[in-house]
Amino acid sequence: MKKIVTLLLSAGLVATATQAFSSPQEDLQKFRTYFEQKFPGMKLDDFGNGSYALDESKRIQWESMEEFPPYDEFVDKGREIWEKPFKNGKSFASCFGSDPSKVRVKYPHWDSKTQQVVTLEGDINKCLKENGEKPFGWKKGPIAWLSAFFGYEARGQKINVKIPNDPKALEAYEHGRHFFYAKRGQLNMACADCHVKYPGHFIRGNLLSTALGQTTHFPVYRAKWAKKSKDGDGMGTLHRRYGGCNKQVRARPFKAQSKVYRDLEFFHQYMSNGLTINAPGYRE
Amino acid sequence: MKKLIMTLGLALLIAGCNATTPSKPMSLKEQYEAKLAATQAAVEKAASVEGEWRDIRWKKSKKKYLPSAIKAAEAGDYEKALKLLDIAEFQAKMGYQQAMAEKNAGPHLYGM
Repeated sequence: MKKIVTLLLSAGLVATATQAFSSPQEDLQKFRTYFEQKFPGMKLDDFGNGSYALDESKRIQWESMEEFPPYDEFVDKGREIWEKPFKNGKSFASCFGSDPSKVRVKYPHWDSKTQQVVTLEGDINKCLKENGEKPFGWKKGPIAWLSAFFGYEARGQKINVKIPNDPKALEAYEHGRHFFYAKRGQLNMACADCHVKYPGHFIRGNLLSTALGQTTHFPVYRAKWAKKSKDGDGMGTLHRRYGGCNKQVRARPFKAQSKVYRDLEFFHQYMSNGLTINAPGYRE
Repeated sequence: MKKLIMTLGLALLIAGCNATTPSKPMSLKEQYEAKLAATQAAVEKAASVEGEWRDIRWKKSKKKYLPSAIKAAEAGDYEKALKLLDIAEFQAKMGYQQAMAEKNAGPHLYGM
């Protein structure tokens, strides 16, 4: 009897450990399969179009917006920032290389020296500081414009986040994954509740998008943000959106570029590996 | 017999004194100070596990129960402050409990 109990307990422990420590590759495979089965027949890249891939009438409206996209002027502003030299005569090219189309696909990545996730926005401000310039605000304005420019230049390339087999990198990935699936806030909702369990359903007037493909079109121009802004600037970064989601479930949002959100981005972007970058995007 | 009466009398006197001088009740200010310390500890505990809720002290929250309580106390309205601290402490405790309950959250909970 004692042996049977020991055996059952061991089996249980092994099963739990397998669940808790599945590799990023296994996670990605299961994640992809889950959405392909939930939305049979949908092309992989269509997931990058968010809720517009799930509702025909919304898609028509969105396509008409994309004819004269409101983010265009901010991509141009981003280009101007890219081209404008710093006071020391250098420019962003001294940090990112001369080809802006090769920047976006490198992010986010794991930095083995600092043992942390590095994001595009993080490196934009690092570059400014290293060149004696004042860093940008983290969530909107110039940082989102330059990021949008990098996204626009990278259109057509595939997201390709690498999770190295380094315990600390895996820890960061696991932290981001846990954050994504853990319920939080007074409304007791996880990111996964809306974007894994209920994509395609409405939450009030909004159609929920799939988590697969969500990062391909960031930064985004949101009509809601444009309405709030004095000058109609609706651009915002991925971390601005994370903060908004957390606020909506009545959890205290974390700071943009905090470790929590960088780790979340590491997981979140990795789950869209292989999808085509179509940033910046327009969203309601 | 005389000794017994005296002893009983003394015992009754002591008991009577104890009954008639209860410990001094805490003033509202003292209650507020104790509650504030307990609430702040509960909030930090929730924050330490990434479980803090929006309306406890986040600067952009319209409610901000904890700072509002401090503000009310500064204005001398301890009753209002205590009510607000009740909410803040409850939310902090719930946030911590929620984070603990979600310790093992992962894709397996979503059929993956």
